[in-house]
Amino acid sequence: MPNSPPEHRLRLLQSVLSAISMGAIVLNPGRRIVLWNSWMQQYSGVTAEQALDQPFLAMLPELQGGRVEMAIHQALSNNFPSLLSQTLNKAPFPLYANALAVERQERIQQAIEVTPIAVAGAERHCLIQINDVSIAVGREKLLREQALVLRSQTFADSLTGIANRRHFDVAIDREHRRARRSGQPLSLLMIDIDHFKPYNDHYGHQKGDQCLIRVAAAMAAILKRPCDLMARYGGEEFGIILPDTDLPQAQRVAEALRSAVQELAIPHGRHSNSQHVTVSIGIATLDLDTQHDIEMLIGAADRALYQAKHAGRNRSISCST
Amino acid sequence: MFALTELENDALIEIFNIGVGQAAASMSAIVDEPVAMSVPSISFVDRREAARLLDSKDPEAERICGVSQHFEGAFDTQAILMFPEDKSLEIVRLMVGEAVPLKELTEMEQEAMCEIGNIILNSCVGTLANIFHHELHGSLPQYHVGTSDEIMNASGSQPDTVVLMLHIDFVLERHQIRGYVAFVLDVTALHDLKEQINRYIARAMGQE
Repeated sequence: MPNSPPEHRLRLLQSVLSAISMGAIVLNPGRRIVLWNSWMQQYSGVTAEQALDQPFLAMLPELQGGRVEMAIHQALSNNFPSLLSQTLNKAPFPLYANALAVERQERIQQAIEVTPIAVAGAERHCLIQINDVSIAVGREKLLREQALVLRSQTFADSLTGIANRRHFDVAIDREHRRARRSGQPLSLLMIDIDHFKPYNDHYGHQKGDQCLIRVAAAMAAILKRPCDLMARYGGEEFGIILPDTDLPQAQRVAEALRSAVQELAIPHGRHSNSQHVTVSIGIATLDLDTQHDIEMLIGAADRALYQAKHAGRNRSISCST
Repeated sequence: MFALTELENDALIEIFNIGVGQAAASMSAIVDEPVAMSVPSISFVDRREAARLLDSKDPEAERICGVSQHFEGAFDTQAILMFPEDKSLEIVRLMVGEAVPLKELTEMEQEAMCEIGNIILNSCVGTLANIFHHELHGSLPQYHVGTSDEIMNASGSQPDTVVLMLHIDFVLERHQIRGYVAFVLDVTALHDLKEQINRYIARAMGQE
């Protein structure tokens, strides 16, 4: 190429520009479009004839005042290049892979570089390069989705879908620290299905599993706040963490849970004093005036549950720590 | 070690605070939330000292993320924005609002970090250039991860250079994050920078 005549070199460069698989736009110092390559024509639907000599912002008014305009200013006025990432700039240019994408208004995902261009014998120009990063974006989306599934599996109980014991241990630790720091009360409910072993023996394990699922779902429906956490603590035992909840509030929640399970009216032929499946609930609230650790809180809720069992089941009893 | 007079020092801090202020405004426009940035102090240190300042005291020290750009013109410098790796994860995720954080910055997040670095470095150097009435030319940002020494090597700076360290405080969504911008300068660049600062001070005091 060094020895070829200038017009040949120019034609060669033009061919290269139309062959490259990325968008290239060049603006002159007056911010008019002086180059609009084939890639841009293909994905924007705007031909070079339509684009050339047009003021850039008149052609793409939606870019006014945004990062692209700022980057053009940086390049033309300050001689600085800018990088516009796909993550922080959601597809600024209206570019579409095909007609279907136009219909769905799904833009090509873009990574953009805006660089100053020194032009011999003329004022500085500015080159805008647009890369299609849709494939990389899709790959990362998949990666995140799989990470999310993995994470939820390690923290969820496979039968009931609610949090598992491991999740409970992490959450109680976190909420305990938060309560100590913020001075807000923290309540804990320990819940056990009454006479579950006789139920299982009488109706079989499949029915037993169904019973667990229905009881878990009914209680989950009572908990309205996203910060409340219900976990399967053991076989037929559940633990519920109630942040920012004092004892009277916790007692109301416990009663609501208890009646929700009773209203399911799941028949239980081996119950000592009911026709249906019921639960007993132990309530404990963290006493902020004294130093208490998590074990004491859990111990207090367990003791209250034991008392509820002894007092005839299907009831909630609270125990102060 | 190279030092500035108190006046020169104050002038530079003022200039850099204008620069990061503009960068904060740009970033705030991206995330549509308040972003505040300030430069509480600057210092000149040699490269070994700079590395010591950056690397945490913890021997199990986690890595540092850096975004570097080369600038040349009124003075030549390699500018590097650096955060401990966990802090850069925090910044990008606060900016992006990503719900499922992964252990390392993904390719796309690294690019976002590059853009954040690009905004901050362009603003800092741009403000300097405007105030010095001199243009500088800049390269595109590059992303690095490693020890501070590795990052300074990767960005092509010689071991016997002086580093102008800016401490940057970054406040986003009630998170306060401290990072650094290092300007790696050789003796000529250092001399050029000092001369430019003095011209600016002279102009500001009406002596030119």
